[in-house]
Amino acid sequence: MSFQITDIPRILPELMLLLLGLMVLGSDVLTRWGRGPQAQLERAREAGQLTAIGLGLIFIVGLVQSRFLFTVPDPSGGPLDVLLTLGRNLQAGGPGGSPILGAFATDEFTMVARLTFIGAAFLTTLLAMGYRLTANPGEFYGLLIFSTLGMSIMAAATEFILAYLALELSSISLYVLAGYFRESERSPEAGLKYFLFGSLSSAIFLYGISLVYGFVASENQKAGGTPIVATLFSEVGRFATGDAASSPLLILGMLFVIAGLGYKISVVPFHTWAPDVYQGAPPPVTAFLSTASKAAGFLLLYRLLTTAFPGAVGTPRLEEFSGWTSVLAILALVTVIVGNLAALPQTNARRLLAYSSIGHAGFLLLAALIWSSTSPADRAFGTAALIYYLIVYTLTNLGSFGVLAVLTNALGSDDLGAMQGLWQRNMVLTLMMTILILSLAGIPPLAGFWAKFFVFMAGYQAGAVPLVTIAVIMTVVSLYYYLRFLKAMWILPAPETTPFKTPPVANAAIIVSTVLVVLLGLLPNLIWGTISTAASVAAR
Amino acid sequence: MPLRQRSVRNAVVSMNSVPLLSVMIWLPALGALVVLALPRQNVAAQRGVSLGAALLALAAAVGVALFFNPAHAGFQLVERVAWVPSWGISYTVSVDGISLWLVVLTAFLTPIALAASWGTVERQERAFHALVLLLASGLFGVFTAQDMLLFYVFFEFTLVPTALLIGIWGGAERRYAAIKFFAYTFSGSVFLLLGIIGLYLLHGQATGVYTFDIATILASLQLGALRLDTGAERLIFGLFFIGFAIKAPIWPFHTWMTTAHAEAPSSGVVDIIGLLIKIGAYGLIRFNVQLFPAAAAWAAPAVGVLAVIGILYAAWIAYQQTDMKRLLAYASVSHVGLIVLGIFALNTQGIAGAVAHMVNSALTTGALFLVVGMLVARRGSRELKAFGGLWKTMPWLGSLTLLLALGSIGLPGLNGFVSEFTVLQGSWRSPGLGWRYTLPAILGVVFAAVYLLHMYRTAFMGETLPELARAPDVRPRELALLIALATPVVVLGLYPNALFGPMQQSVTQIAQGTLPYLASR
Repeated sequence: MSFQITDIPRILPELMLLLLGLMVLGSDVLTRWGRGPQAQLERAREAGQLTAIGLGLIFIVGLVQSRFLFTVPDPSGGPLDVLLTLGRNLQAGGPGGSPILGAFATDEFTMVARLTFIGAAFLTTLLAMGYRLTANPGEFYGLLIFSTLGMSIMAAATEFILAYLALELSSISLYVLAGYFRESERSPEAGLKYFLFGSLSSAIFLYGISLVYGFVASENQKAGGTPIVATLFSEVGRFATGDAASSPLLILGMLFVIAGLGYKISVVPFHTWAPDVYQGAPPPVTAFLSTASKAAGFLLLYRLLTTAFPGAVGTPRLEEFSGWTSVLAILALVTVIVGNLAALPQTNARRLLAYSSIGHAGFLLLAALIWSSTSPADRAFGTAALIYYLIVYTLTNLGSFGVLAVLTNALGSDDLGAMQGLWQRNMVLTLMMTILILSLAGIPPLAGFWAKFFVFMAGYQAGAVPLVTIAVIMTVVSLYYYLRFLKAMWILPAPETTPFKTPPVANAAIIVSTVLVVLLGLLPNLIWGTISTAASVAAR
Repeated sequence: MPLRQRSVRNAVVSMNSVPLLSVMIWLPALGALVVLALPRQNVAAQRGVSLGAALLALAAAVGVALFFNPAHAGFQLVERVAWVPSWGISYTVSVDGISLWLVVLTAFLTPIALAASWGTVERQERAFHALVLLLASGLFGVFTAQDMLLFYVFFEFTLVPTALLIGIWGGAERRYAAIKFFAYTFSGSVFLLLGIIGLYLLHGQATGVYTFDIATILASLQLGALRLDTGAERLIFGLFFIGFAIKAPIWPFHTWMTTAHAEAPSSGVVDIIGLLIKIGAYGLIRFNVQLFPAAAAWAAPAVGVLAVIGILYAAWIAYQQTDMKRLLAYASVSHVGLIVLGIFALNTQGIAGAVAHMVNSALTTGALFLVVGMLVARRGSRELKAFGGLWKTMPWLGSLTLLLALGSIGLPGLNGFVSEFTVLQGSWRSPGLGWRYTLPAILGVVFAAVYLLHMYRTAFMGETLPELARAPDVRPRELALLIALATPVVVLGLYPNALFGPMQQSVTQIAQGTLPYLASR
């Protein structure tokens, strides 16, 4: 396994993201902007447009490259040959291969993840363009892109050091973004809290890695070899089998790794930063933070656990504790309970959705439990359920946090009280929010229903019946706080009935995500096939 | 549209390729979208489009009834499109003798309810019409779905429009009523979903065929390919039962319904198509009795007790009411008791009578809700005390109301009598229930006469209150609506075979399924 020049096209989207980030930063810095508000507006618009166009382009490149939609035919002497040749070349870097000395997997799993993150960043950019950005738009969008880059590498990383670097890249950009509103009361607090939690967690993660590394070295020495530098997940997986899989060193390392990533996916008890940060960060950032960042954490955790610790998989049944599925089962149990119950008394819409997203993290963990089964079909199903849930969750939460961003912008508040009688003020927004909230609650035939359904089925098949039962009960509990949104928007009397307009770009983002939620609800098969392919690759 | 006509169990009437059921289901939803796209000020167009969509759906339903072959017991006019094939989920719609009636009923009542709302919706009429149409689509879907998951989807789908209609356009306590309605029914539906998934998994594990198709599961159960052990069957029966008992509603789960009726928009739209058309009772027949006959026979005595308590208790409370909508709401709970009693008689008469009573009580009670709506529009109050001597000023309304009330009470010659009599006969002859259940139920029927005549006497007889001296009699539109509802009341009363004929085969088949379990008692 050595470096090959053909690996470059495989990581083309990442390279393009890097370039785009630098371009956005550069074009903002290198232009002399006027001081007036008009010039500032122009400046923000330029950075936003560049980002949106760039991300859209990269999304298309990623989509063509992945071969999910179509395989480009051979050029046949027609006028479209240039395009066809381009497409062929792109798809030559499609699924398969292991660039950067095997540290980076460019399989279908990565492709799906990459598209999810870039899509989420694109929608976030649209939301941000509809939001008043005060200062340094170039930095804002640049950081957004770098963070996307980090996430996309996180999901693709198959090596500890690269995973750590990617984690840091995405997190550090997000710390700054969370604290981006320097004048606001809550935003710097959010940034600082997020930073403190994040840096502590990444230290824990790093410590876990070092323990795992020590484990591999000592195992290797026991076997008579020299202590080698093995930081690839699969190398660790090779050693962590049989008796060695229950070595305390390895288990401790694994727990540290899970704990370190736990903050990224905000599962209880590593969740405490989430409500404050979600509430305090600029609303479009919250949308991004609660979706793409969480999804990246999940995908990394999943790939890491399944390739580095397949020997320590254990069982998710709560009565016999063993392996990481037990750990995840316990985390899932606490997370669904705490997340959903804590959401009940909230009065701030963003804080409420923050707790709800913690609850969703618990549901998501259910999907990973099925890895305890030895059948590849079961494992593939669990993985597919996980990815499906992540995509749906990303779309739904982007949309609903987007609505809250619009509300904060237009009404100056995102308390539930401010949403009262919304339907008389902005019907389209209310309809979209209603659909999104119903999808979060899991009402059929919206996408959220299928996501929950698949995940519960996975949990059930993994044998975690009591856990699934509790999760179902918590779904009913969650309905109560989701209903509060509907009650506020539709039923409670409006303090004011003057209509307001949604900024067109933000509206586009919200409508796109809502339409996708409805579409994926009516036709869950639309992406299930692709996801299954990705899942069966990851489950091998 | 890739559509495949397929016979599931029995031969199916061959039909041209028009997917009549799907047209019927989706026409109102399409109408709702069109209505929402109309300009806000153009109320006439909104009314026209929504009524037109409802009438077209009615035409489609009539078409369904014409193509329906009453000689066959199983599901007919099957339309099937794969939805999530990897999970055995399909969009499969069909009708049998039982669902046919509920489909026709829904199609018949929707345009009436829509026309009844004209002039009573003060704000956002556009959204109002759209929601009513969506509700109709949902109801059609519930009654035709032959796939359990599709059924669940439509079941949930009916909740949102109903809750919004009550919550936005309802009476003074509308918010509380809407939330209560939603919370109750949704919690019930979670049990339903669990039951559905449980049955799906058990069926898949036993036969290797993972499917949500009701006909397939039914066939596996009947052929013995899927044998549920007693505990599992009772558990799943229980899950389904809780869901439908709340929805029906069976005493003691009825409290959401009386609040919902009382606070629903005064025109009676929601009362008629949102609450009176009995999804819950239909579900009890379709799932609980048809799929789990043994558990149904086991549970029949207990359910019978609940039903009888419901009949008597609700009738008694209805008599105590001073609010006309609440009175009718409790009357309708009492009717549900009778319907459930008929279903759990588990014999042909009982089930046929129950289905017939679903139709009849929806017609008569619905018509009475319309009458109350008209009275409220004239007086601005639902209180019984606020009315008196109306017959003098409103002779047309007075006489039609009397006819409808008598139909609801069960006067021989009108529709209510036929179904009540059949239900009572069924429950008497049922080995699971017997005369101990029938006698108190008959008492409840007598109570019905008491509370309805009491209401009629207070409102229409006696001295005319001065406030009502100038109240205008029914307008042509209102008269047309009442006559449209009164016609089947008379026709079905005089010729009940029209009601029982088409459902006979399906009901007989379901009742036969329970026979072995009843005989073994």
